[in-house]
Amino acid sequence: MTALLEIRDLHASVGDTPILKGINLTINAGEVHAIMGPNGSGKSTMSYVLAGRDGYEVTGGDILMNGESMLEMEPDERARAGMFLAFQYPVELPGVGGMSFLRAAVNARRVEAGEEEIDQLGFVKIVREKARLLGVSDEMLKRAVNVGFSGGEKKRYEILQMALLEPTMAVLDETDSGLDVDALRIVSEGVNLLRDPGRAMLVITHYQRLLNHIVPDYVHILAGGKIRKTGGKELAFEVEESGYAGIDDAA
Amino acid sequence: MLGSMMQPDMGAVMTDEGVRADALARWQQDGWPGPRVEPWRFTRVDGLAERDLVPATALSGAASGPDGDPGSGPGAVAAAGISAHVIRFENGILDPSGLAALPAGLVVREMMDDEQALSRLQQIAPKGHPVSDLSLAVMTGGIAIDVDSAVSSPLMLLFEGGETGASAHPAILIRLAPKAHLQLAEWHQSDVGLAAPLIGVDIAAGARLEQVKVQAEGAATTHLAATGVALGEGASIAGFSLCTGGALARLETHVALAGSGADCELSAIYMGRGDQHQDITTYMDHAVAECTSNQIIRGVLDDSSRGVYQGRVHVAPDAQKTDGQQMARALLLSRKAEADAKPELEIYADDVVCAHGATVGELDATQLFYLTSRGIPYETARAMLIEAFLIDTIETIENDTLAGLLRPVAEAWLAGGKDL
Repeated sequence: MTALLEIRDLHASVGDTPILKGINLTINAGEVHAIMGPNGSGKSTMSYVLAGRDGYEVTGGDILMNGESMLEMEPDERARAGMFLAFQYPVELPGVGGMSFLRAAVNARRVEAGEEEIDQLGFVKIVREKARLLGVSDEMLKRAVNVGFSGGEKKRYEILQMALLEPTMAVLDETDSGLDVDALRIVSEGVNLLRDPGRAMLVITHYQRLLNHIVPDYVHILAGGKIRKTGGKELAFEVEESGYAGIDDAA
Repeated sequence: MLGSMMQPDMGAVMTDEGVRADALARWQQDGWPGPRVEPWRFTRVDGLAERDLVPATALSGAASGPDGDPGSGPGAVAAAGISAHVIRFENGILDPSGLAALPAGLVVREMMDDEQALSRLQQIAPKGHPVSDLSLAVMTGGIAIDVDSAVSSPLMLLFEGGETGASAHPAILIRLAPKAHLQLAEWHQSDVGLAAPLIGVDIAAGARLEQVKVQAEGAATTHLAATGVALGEGASIAGFSLCTGGALARLETHVALAGSGADCELSAIYMGRGDQHQDITTYMDHAVAECTSNQIIRGVLDDSSRGVYQGRVHVAPDAQKTDGQQMARALLLSRKAEADAKPELEIYADDVVCAHGATVGELDATQLFYLTSRGIPYETARAMLIEAFLIDTIETIENDTLAGLLRPVAEAWLAGGKDL
């Protein structure tokens, strides 16, 4: 079976600074993987490299989705191929209406798949339904993208986009940052609703607490640009107990 | 060239020989300003003297675009589903059929049939502007529009014509009686060598003009518009210009806030690509107390295009409680594009609220990444952000009918490349 996502000896730099120094990771459909690590370990860099952001340069290795290299693909091509990044800091787009943004994204995906574009009325119905499940209010849908949203609302809006785009590979970058306990629970429930045998998730987090809500199949500890340790969900509790210090030493 | 411009057929249209002879004399003395004349430092027009342009003398019969094209004036009216009365100028010459069947509240006469119109136009016209003198002197067509009451349907002034070797000099005076109201669309889509409309707007106490202007001239046309506005007590104007056309265009508007409580909203969007040069120049003269003026300017510049905004707000010593605002922002889509902004405040009163600002920036890379990371193609993402940059400006247009005329022009530009 071809892995959904395979990362082979991945090296990446930001500017002249090497950040990722040989990442190996295989993720199969239906699995949820967590990457934990201290600040500066390369967690966010990894999410941007996967999404194809400008300025995050791959200097070695490869990223394969369904067996095909993504390195030459632009961010929009990767997204239409099934990659999704839930941002740690969702970007405000003043003047860009939420509904037209969501529809443009969904239709881009549909056109790629050879499907008909969806009209405004049909789309509103779909969005309302998913939005209700994820606790996104009508008022939020009417606003410009992320403008005037609280931290929790921004994260819920990310998960709504994920629900609409139905990615095969979802990367959640520090989805717990800036959330209080209640918001964390709502967002996690949304993510859990989207767990699916055909979909894999990579949950990037600093803290173990998110993994109480989104329970991973595998946990990887990232430090100094490499994966230092891999285990089951219990590995997250070890980190919670003893911190990242021991991991760095082991490397 | 200049020589031919200086010998207009004065006999045919003279009603006030003095006014036009004086204008001609001023023009002959000053000519086109060179780059050392400060207000023309960013926008070079002295090259016009080298061109063999002759003031138009005849209707060409070549209409600029099919009426069904939503990018053309009549097409836009049809697309917006409104009934507007259209008065058409071709090569700057009046098509007299537009003077028939006018809506109630409007009286339109040819300039020569109105004894006071020319001298009033001369009084209101921007001082020291070459078009104020030249287009008065060689006027190719002229009308005086009187608005006696509230006119329910919009009036469109449509400027067409295909004489590429000609210059068009329409002269128009619009007078709004006390408490009158007019919705005006000024639509320029000619291919003449030089379009030099001179327009005077005289708004009496409590009257209101809502106006949009579309400058969608042909790719080789030079468009130099001089507009003067006089506002009486409690009078108001809400003006909005959208500039996408022409090789070189300058819209210069001088506003005299001469009656207490007068209000002037004067906003503009310019969009340039290729080697286009777009210039918005304004002079806001707060002559008396308790007037307000507000200007929002947005520019989008691609390729090697250039945009200029010069706005001066003058507040006279007696003009206490003035509120004068101007904010200009330009978005550069290319490293070779250039924007110049010169907002100026000249304040001689002490109890005023005035602010100005100007910014020049590029599209935000993080916003572009966010959009493309959702699968939206780069070009679409870019257009969405440009539209977002413009949208709050278009939303300042309270009149939905007039705003509806502009949107297709802006959208067509955003859709790319197509010359309107």
